[in-house]
Amino acid sequence: MNIAVFIKASLNLNLIKVDSSGIVNLEETALAISEYDKNALEEGIIIKEKFGGKVAVFSALTYGPISKRQADYERIIRETLAIGADEAHIILDEKLVGASSLEVSLALANLVKKVGTFDIYITGEASMDTSSYQFASRLSSLINVPAVTFVRKIEIQEKDVLLYRDLEDEIQIIKTSLPVIVSVTGEINQPRLPTLKQILQSKTKPIFKYSVTDLELPKFDLSKEIRILPVSRKNIFVEGKNLEEISEKLIKYLIDEGVLKI
Amino acid sequence: MSSIIVFSSKIKYIQEALPLAYLLKEKEEIIGVSCYEENLEEIANKGFDVFYYSEKEILNDQWYEVLINIANETKPKYLIAPSRKDNIEILARLASKLGFPMVTDVSYFDRSNGFLVFHKPVLGGRATAIFKVKKETNLALTVPLKKFKQEVINTKTRILKIENIPESKFKILGKEEKKRSAVKIEDAEIVVGVGRGFKAKEDLKLAFDLAEVLNAQVGCSRPIAADYKWLPDDVWIGISNKSIRPKLYIAVGISGAPQHVSSVTDSKVIVAINKDQNAPIFKYADYCIVADLYQFLPILKEKIEKLKKS
Repeated sequence: MNIAVFIKASLNLNLIKVDSSGIVNLEETALAISEYDKNALEEGIIIKEKFGGKVAVFSALTYGPISKRQADYERIIRETLAIGADEAHIILDEKLVGASSLEVSLALANLVKKVGTFDIYITGEASMDTSSYQFASRLSSLINVPAVTFVRKIEIQEKDVLLYRDLEDEIQIIKTSLPVIVSVTGEINQPRLPTLKQILQSKTKPIFKYSVTDLELPKFDLSKEIRILPVSRKNIFVEGKNLEEISEKLIKYLIDEGVLKI
Repeated sequence: MSSIIVFSSKIKYIQEALPLAYLLKEKEEIIGVSCYEENLEEIANKGFDVFYYSEKEILNDQWYEVLINIANETKPKYLIAPSRKDNIEILARLASKLGFPMVTDVSYFDRSNGFLVFHKPVLGGRATAIFKVKKETNLALTVPLKKFKQEVINTKTRILKIENIPESKFKILGKEEKKRSAVKIEDAEIVVGVGRGFKAKEDLKLAFDLAEVLNAQVGCSRPIAADYKWLPDDVWIGISNKSIRPKLYIAVGISGAPQHVSSVTDSKVIVAINKDQNAPIFKYADYCIVADLYQFLPILKEKIEKLKKS
């Protein structure tokens, strides 16, 4: 079984840096494997353990500057190899910094086509930083493989595959055949942590690096502007000499806010 | 003439996407695409110029093919859908085929000097991304339910049945309905959220008692629904796309995982009650109470009860 897993190096939500003008500082905020992509990787490894084959990780760095980020990014990719992927294919190119799902999916689709064909392509339902829920669908249209999204259980039976989609009102059970693109939810599994031995072994696994010129991409028009502003809350710690007093103060605050009517 | 395609696989949500379509509309025709239901004509005549419908429910890959055909015919400038999982999947695939960028979960729209400005929540609800694009840009957009309001005019709509629907690559083997509570927490004005701070299922009574005096609904974080199964999935706040926007959200014994926080960020006022003063939830709350919920909830409930009676 040839398994492709798509990983995003997302902004680390616990280490968000805000600059003096109140805008999130994208260059200074550290990166981490996007939450549900960990589940995608875990599911890829589970499938490999059951059916044999290999897991290839695909990723593109979208936060810059590349020269400053590269080490941190490669550490994240190395971590996916330690957890159980066999090889990684990554795009490092300033042209993808700040790129949207439109450009990134095109770059990754061209990369995956260049590397080979796979039986199953797995990714997280959305990235934890931009939550745009688009990648699996976009990849589907670009490599012409059907996509099934929001999957919380995968059962592979010979050439067929059963996919349990977690929708708003129901779990929908879909039968289709391989190859297929699947986006997974956080409920599908519990991602494992690498052992020390695996971390050491990962150093011998290959990371293949590409630039946009290797991938025959159209010229991007990045004429959009994106600013990210933190949502602010009041963060008032309600204090008092006992819980009764704290309760009374809280109730007064809520009445003044107009959200509690007595 | 170009168009704005407004799509929803379920017709009951399609009008949720109309306000944004009207805010964006210049000369474009508004084209609705959805599935048949008895009140189709009534829905179609409210704001759509043309309405395409499928006679029966069809699957996502079939919708994609149908929409490609409609897009080829009507040259859309915008594709807009209510933020439902099926719609997002289908719209993103269509956007990719047409080469459109897409903004999921648009929370705000404005125009500024020849640019269109969209907001969307990012970083797990901790921040808002502001996109500014040239007004000539083609776009796909999804809108959360109940986000935009705009008066819709009655139209004389051309209603057309979709013919020649291709076969699906998928087969639906079954559906499991999710357990439902009596009242949807998405609609509640006040929500009390419970988390791992509660030690036993019986202890949730403390939260339900508070909810009763506040006339609130009770929701929960992931462990309570997924791991312990103390409450059904449909009150689990933070499951993919399950967002709430009450006037008041009270997080009790909830640590503040990103998925949970991002789903309550539209609440007007957030109160957090947690005995750990370093709990991440406090960063996303307006009013922070460092206290043991077992002691605090009964006191708070009693005070509110007394005030209501007096």
